[in-house]
Amino acid sequence: MLSAAGPTHAGPVRIPMEHGFSPYTDNGGTTLAIAGDDYVIVAGDTRQSEGYSINTRYCPKVFKLDNNCVLATGGMAADGQNLVRRLKQSIEQYHHVHAKTMSPSALAQLLSVVLYGKRHFPYFVWNTLGGLDADGSGWVYSYDPVGNVEKRKWACAGSAGHLIMPFLDAKIGHHHQSQIDAKTEGKPGSVPFDTAMKYTKDAFTSATERDIYTGDLLEIFVIRKSGVTVEQIPLKRD
Amino acid sequence: MVTGTSVLGIKYKDGIMMAADTLASYGSLARFRDVQRIVPVGEHTLLGASGEMSDFAYIQEQLDKLLVADHLAADGHTAGPHFIWQYLSRLMYARRSRVNPLWNSLIVGGFRDGKRFLGFVDLQGTTYEASTIATGFGAYLGQPLLRKAVEGKEDTLTKEEAHKLLVDTLRVLYYRDARSLDKIQIATADASGVSVSEPFKLDSDWSFGADIRGYGAL
Amino acid sequence: MEYNGSAVMAMKGDGCVAIAADRRFGVQALTLGTEFQKIFQMNKYTFVGLAGLASDVITLSDQLRYKVKMYELREERPISPETFAHLASSSLYEKRFGPWFVEPIIAGLDPKTGEPFIASTDLIGCINFAKDFVVSGTANSQMYGMCESLWEPNLGPEDLFETISQAMLNAIDRDCIAGWGAVVHVITKDKIVTKHLKGRMD
Repeated sequence: MLSAAGPTHAGPVRIPMEHGFSPYTDNGGTTLAIAGDDYVIVAGDTRQSEGYSINTRYCPKVFKLDNNCVLATGGMAADGQNLVRRLKQSIEQYHHVHAKTMSPSALAQLLSVVLYGKRHFPYFVWNTLGGLDADGSGWVYSYDPVGNVEKRKWACAGSAGHLIMPFLDAKIGHHHQSQIDAKTEGKPGSVPFDTAMKYTKDAFTSATERDIYTGDLLEIFVIRKSGVTVEQIPLKRD
Repeated sequence: MVTGTSVLGIKYKDGIMMAADTLASYGSLARFRDVQRIVPVGEHTLLGASGEMSDFAYIQEQLDKLLVADHLAADGHTAGPHFIWQYLSRLMYARRSRVNPLWNSLIVGGFRDGKRFLGFVDLQGTTYEASTIATGFGAYLGQPLLRKAVEGKEDTLTKEEAHKLLVDTLRVLYYRDARSLDKIQIATADASGVSVSEPFKLDSDWSFGADIRGYGAL
Repeated sequence: MEYNGSAVMAMKGDGCVAIAADRRFGVQALTLGTEFQKIFQMNKYTFVGLAGLASDVITLSDQLRYKVKMYELREERPISPETFAHLASSSLYEKRFGPWFVEPIIAGLDPKTGEPFIASTDLIGCINFAKDFVVSGTANSQMYGMCESLWEPNLGPEDLFETISQAMLNAIDRDCIAGWGAVVHVITKDKIVTKHLKGRMD
C-alpha cells in the first residue's frame, strides 16, 4: 500500500508521505462572554457537529471551574475537554501547594502558558475565560489557540463569533452611539445585568438563524461573588 | 485496511441496544463475512467498532488487560460502561496526539445500577453521549430514523420496538451502503447483563429490480 | 473576491428601502481611495450595490446601466427592481465559466405599486429574494450578525436609516478591508435621502 516513484534502494528508505489523517477537526458551536461591574455572563450553545452532521444536541462546552471562574471552549471538542481536564488538575494542585484558591488572573496567565506550551501542535480551541477581580468587578479573558490573551469586558468566539462580535461592540461598547439611556444600557463596557442577559439571548437567537453549527440549547453561566449559576434556554434545532 | 461499516446504538426503556453487520471489507471486497463487531466488555458493557478491524483487535487486547487487572485487584470494584468509555477516549486521544491513530469509531453502551449509558469515541478523540448514536454511513442514513423513533421516548420504548427499529435501520443501510452485509447481530445491555445475539440473516426485498438490467438475473 | 474589500447591504422597511455601502478602495492591505462609489442608481426607484472586485464593479455598473437604458428605450417604461434583478442575474450567468467577481445587492420600489423590493445574487446570478435584508462583501458574517439582531419588520424611513447605519458601521469596524465611512440611501415614494456616515477611518 505504501509506494512512491523514485530511485530504488537496497534497504529501507525514508520518503515524504502524505498523511490522510488530520489530528484536527472542527466541532462547531459559538460562545460569548459579557462582564459587568459585579457579574460575568459566559454562554455557549451545546450542539456538537462534524461536517454537515450533528453528533449530539447536548455536549456542554462551557465549564465551571472550582475557583469561581467559567471557561468556554470553542473549536475542537476533544482538545477543549482535555484542556479543561488539565486546567482543573492545575487548579486543584495550586490549592494544595498554596493553600488558597487560584485567582482568575493567575488562571488566565496559566491558560496562556499552557496553550503556548503546545505552540507547535496547538490545542484547536478558542477559549474565553470569565472571572471576578479582587475588587469584585467582572472581566473576560479572550484567547487564541496558541495563548494570546486580552483582558476585556466582552468577547465571543466560535463559528458565529464573527456574526456576534459587532453586535456586542454596538450594544456593550456603545460604539457609534451618542444617546444612551444610562438606566437600561449603563456605561460603555458596563451594562446592567438584565440588559446583558437580554443581549446574550438575542445574540444567540440571531446566530442560530444564520449559522448552521449553532443551535439546540443555550447554557448561560453567571458568575457573581456568591457563586456560579446556570440557566438553559432552548434554541432552534434546525 | 480491513474495515467494518456502521454500528448503531440506542437507549430504550430498560437498557441499551446496539446493532451491526458481520462484515469486514478489504476495500470493495467483502473479505471476512463472519466478524463480530460488537463485543461484551466485562459484565456491564458493550463495545461496537467500525473502521480498522486490526485496531479494534488491539483495543480489545488493551481492555482485556484492564479487566484482568481489575480481577486481580479483587476489591469488589469492576469496570463499568462510563469508565470503559473514559478509558477508550483517553487512549484514542493519546494516539491521535502522537499522529498515529487507532482508526476506529467506537460506540460504548452499557447498563449498571439502574442507569443506561451510551457514548461515542472516534479516532480523533472526539467524544459525546446521546440517546441514539450511529457511526459511518449510519450517521447519514440511520441517525434520522433512530432519532425520530427514540428522541423523547427513551423511557417508553420497549425491547421489541427497539429491536425492530435497529433491524429496519440496518436494512436501509444494507440497501444503500455499498460496503454492508445482510448478516447482522443485535446486542443488548440491561439489568440482566450483556449479551450479543448469534448472527442472523436480514430479510430484504429486491423484487423491484427484477425487470431492471444490472439487478439480479437480467 | 477578497482583493479589494467591500461591504454592501440593503434593508426593507414600511413603504421604504435602504441601501448602504462602505467607501474604501484598496488593494489588499493598502488603501488607495476613500470615496469609492459602490452603489449606482439605475433609474428613479432602482438602486444596485456592487460588492467584490473593484474593476468588475466599475465594468458591471456601466454594463448594467447600458442594459437598463436599452430596456427603457424599447419598453418605453422604467424597469422595475424585480425585473432588474433578473437582468443582473442573466448578465452574470452569461459569464458562468469565467464569472464577474461581484455579488450585487438590488434595492428599490416598484414604479407602479411603490412596493419595497430587495434582492441579492451570487457571482453567477443565483437570486436571493429576501423579505428582510440582504448583505454582500468581505464583511459578510459581521453584517449578517448585525442585521439579524437589529432588524425588525415595518420600520419607518427614519428608524430604518438608524438601523442600517448601526448595522453597517459596527460590521465594517470588524473587517480590515472594508470601511473608511459609509453611504446610505433611504428610498421612499417621495424622495431619496442620501447620508454619509463617518466611522472608524481606518
